[in-house]
Amino acid sequence: MLAYTFKRLIQGVITVWFIATATFFAMHAVPGDPLANERATTEAIRKNLEARYGLDRPVTEQYVLFLGNMMRGDFGISFTQENRRVNDIIRESFPVSATLGILAVAFAAFGGVVWGALTAIYRNRLPDLVITFLVILGISVPGFVVAALGQLALVDINAWLGFSLLPIAGWGSIRHMIVPSMVLGLGTMAYLTRLMRSSMLEITNSDFIRTARAKGLPPTRIFLKHQLRNAILPVITVLGPSIAAITTGGFVVELVFAIPGLGRSFVQSVQQLDYTVIMGTTVFYGAFLVFMVIVVDLLYGLIDPRVRLE
Amino acid sequence: MTASAANPVAPVLDVKDLHVEFDTYGGIVKAVRGVSFDVHAGKTLAIVGESGCGKSVTVQSIMGLIPMPPGRITRGTAMLDGVDIVQQKIVNGRDIRGNRVGMIFQDPMSALNPTMRVGDQIAETLQVHRGYSKRQAFDRAVEVLTLANIPEADKRARQYPFAFSGGMLQRAMIAIAIACEPAVLIADEPTTALDVTIQAQILDLLKDLQRRNGMAIVLITHDLGVVARMADDVSVMYAGEIVETGSVDDVFYRAAHPYTLGLKAAMPSSTTPKDQGLRPIEGTPPDLFAPPDGCGYFARCPHAMRVCGPSHPPNVEVDPRHNALCWLHHPDAPRTVSELHRRVQA
Ligand SMILES: Nc1ncnc2c1ncn2[C@@H]1O[C@H](COP(=O)(O)OP(=O)(O)OP(=O)(O)O)[C@@H](O)[C@H]1O
Ligand code: SF4
Ligand SMILES: [Mg+2]
Repeated sequence: MLAYTFKRLIQGVITVWFIATATFFAMHAVPGDPLANERATTEAIRKNLEARYGLDRPVTEQYVLFLGNMMRGDFGISFTQENRRVNDIIRESFPVSATLGILAVAFAAFGGVVWGALTAIYRNRLPDLVITFLVILGISVPGFVVAALGQLALVDINAWLGFSLLPIAGWGSIRHMIVPSMVLGLGTMAYLTRLMRSSMLEITNSDFIRTARAKGLPPTRIFLKHQLRNAILPVITVLGPSIAAITTGGFVVELVFAIPGLGRSFVQSVQQLDYTVIMGTTVFYGAFLVFMVIVVDLLYGLIDPRVRLE
Repeated sequence: MTASAANPVAPVLDVKDLHVEFDTYGGIVKAVRGVSFDVHAGKTLAIVGESGCGKSVTVQSIMGLIPMPPGRITRGTAMLDGVDIVQQKIVNGRDIRGNRVGMIFQDPMSALNPTMRVGDQIAETLQVHRGYSKRQAFDRAVEVLTLANIPEADKRARQYPFAFSGGMLQRAMIAIAIACEPAVLIADEPTTALDVTIQAQILDLLKDLQRRNGMAIVLITHDLGVVARMADDVSVMYAGEIVETGSVDDVFYRAAHPYTLGLKAAMPSSTTPKDQGLRPIEGTPPDLFAPPDGCGYFARCPHAMRVCGPSHPPNVEVDPRHNALCWLHHPDAPRTVSELHRRVQA
């Protein structure tokens, strides 16, 4: 298990290096100039700024410098926000995104398992048909539409009630978090529901459930101890990709609900061609996702004894 | 205490006139059509018959394991300790399944929960049926694994099924089934998925356990060699019916039903001489969507008579405790049993 963890971590580091390198050269290939705004009015100022950010050196030298800084965990200074270090931007806004993401993943996983199990139990009866219809809706409607509709619904609900039940935008209290995290988790929840349903149905007909019944166990015990635990396994395998989907979905939801998260910083930095912030957040996101996939794999090992030894 | 203890000649499990159907897209499959059998404490009844004849459905419906719907028990009783478990299986299911009746299945590789320790899977039945604490139940599980001839049982009990071989898993399955010392053990082709040397070990284990605790065994098999080795009595099943029942000697040496004779000629066993080749039974079993009114074996039977097509054959007691479902044994039938033997074995 330890050797396996170590191997996965090494693989992860290589992946992150790859992401960093690809981002670096992609950034150098895009047209446009981070200093082509009002800040570089004269040739002298431009020279100054280029020197400050190291843009006057050859590309290979810049690359080595970038890798060196990155390994020390230093992503440099923002081009557009004077004197803001990229590290500070990540440090301030990532916890917001992480809170939103964790809530969304929890909502999606919990909802997916519960709805999936319910649809399997009520297979081909009314609750199953209704939930399945909603699931197809949830999978096919894009995240930005769900976000906008969610916000619109909130406006209507607040107007109808005559007071603000839940805030329609911003961040701070639990009440700010509820709707955005549900909106963010919805698509994933729909996907997990479908997965959980088919996994449950497969397991209902499996030999070991028949054994459990032949043992005379009460139905609730069969459901909880034998069926659920095995049915959840496929859901856990896709949790890694689900976290990725929710992370990228967060870019949109943070913009729509005006949440000061890392996703919003990232989108803004791309719009403004804020070279260092783009590099920093991309590498950070990459490392985060790679790490999460490893965590999910290890979690899977905890639940399924068969992968523990491999 | 139990009915069998009060009256030593009464069978522990007595199944009468069991009918089971399945709803399918193609219509209603009449999988089991009036099956009756009984088995006594300490004895083994083998149920033999070709694939699809309804052996598994018979025992699974007694255990309440057929999916309902589409399955349905339309008629019949199965008396255990004076209680009809076909009628009572919902109300009383917990006391019967896994407690008074244990069951093992064909494929041990998929019969255990892959995410639960083997010991816990045995302990579970003891917790449910005996009210043992977790610790007590686990300690007893280790004892039962030892009984099932699993070496280093205390270590094995803490492992997961994937760490076991096929033979070991079947031993673990047996341990689960006998944990509560059942009166009846139902074994549905327990050795079909295992290789030959392991098969023999598993059969020996079953015999050994039976001698130890006096349970009755209902053993489903394709293999007449297994029947000869294990069984006291045999029921031969064909197309959802039991066509012949008797002691092993009666059925093996004085077979009274043409299907039994065909089965013996078609199956390799220690009783078949090497030079006498195998003769498969021509044709296929009847359609269970619309089973024939008369004899189910009519279309394939080399001895068929005019009466066999339209009229259902009588169940004739050819010798004491040896029955056959065949017109040949009707007093008016032109051929005698000895004549039949001569014809088939010539
Ligand atoms: N769930 C079901 N739905 C519909 N038909 C079924 C179902 N289960 C069994 N049957 C039918 O019942 C009949 C008897 O099946 P069963 O499994 O008892 O045969 P078997 O004698 O055990 O055969 P084998 O030796 O292959 O195990 C078959 O024709 C099968 O198609
Ligand atoms: S009843 Fe007739 S068809 Fe059926 S087995 Fe006997 S002789 Fe053959
Ligand atoms: Mg079968």
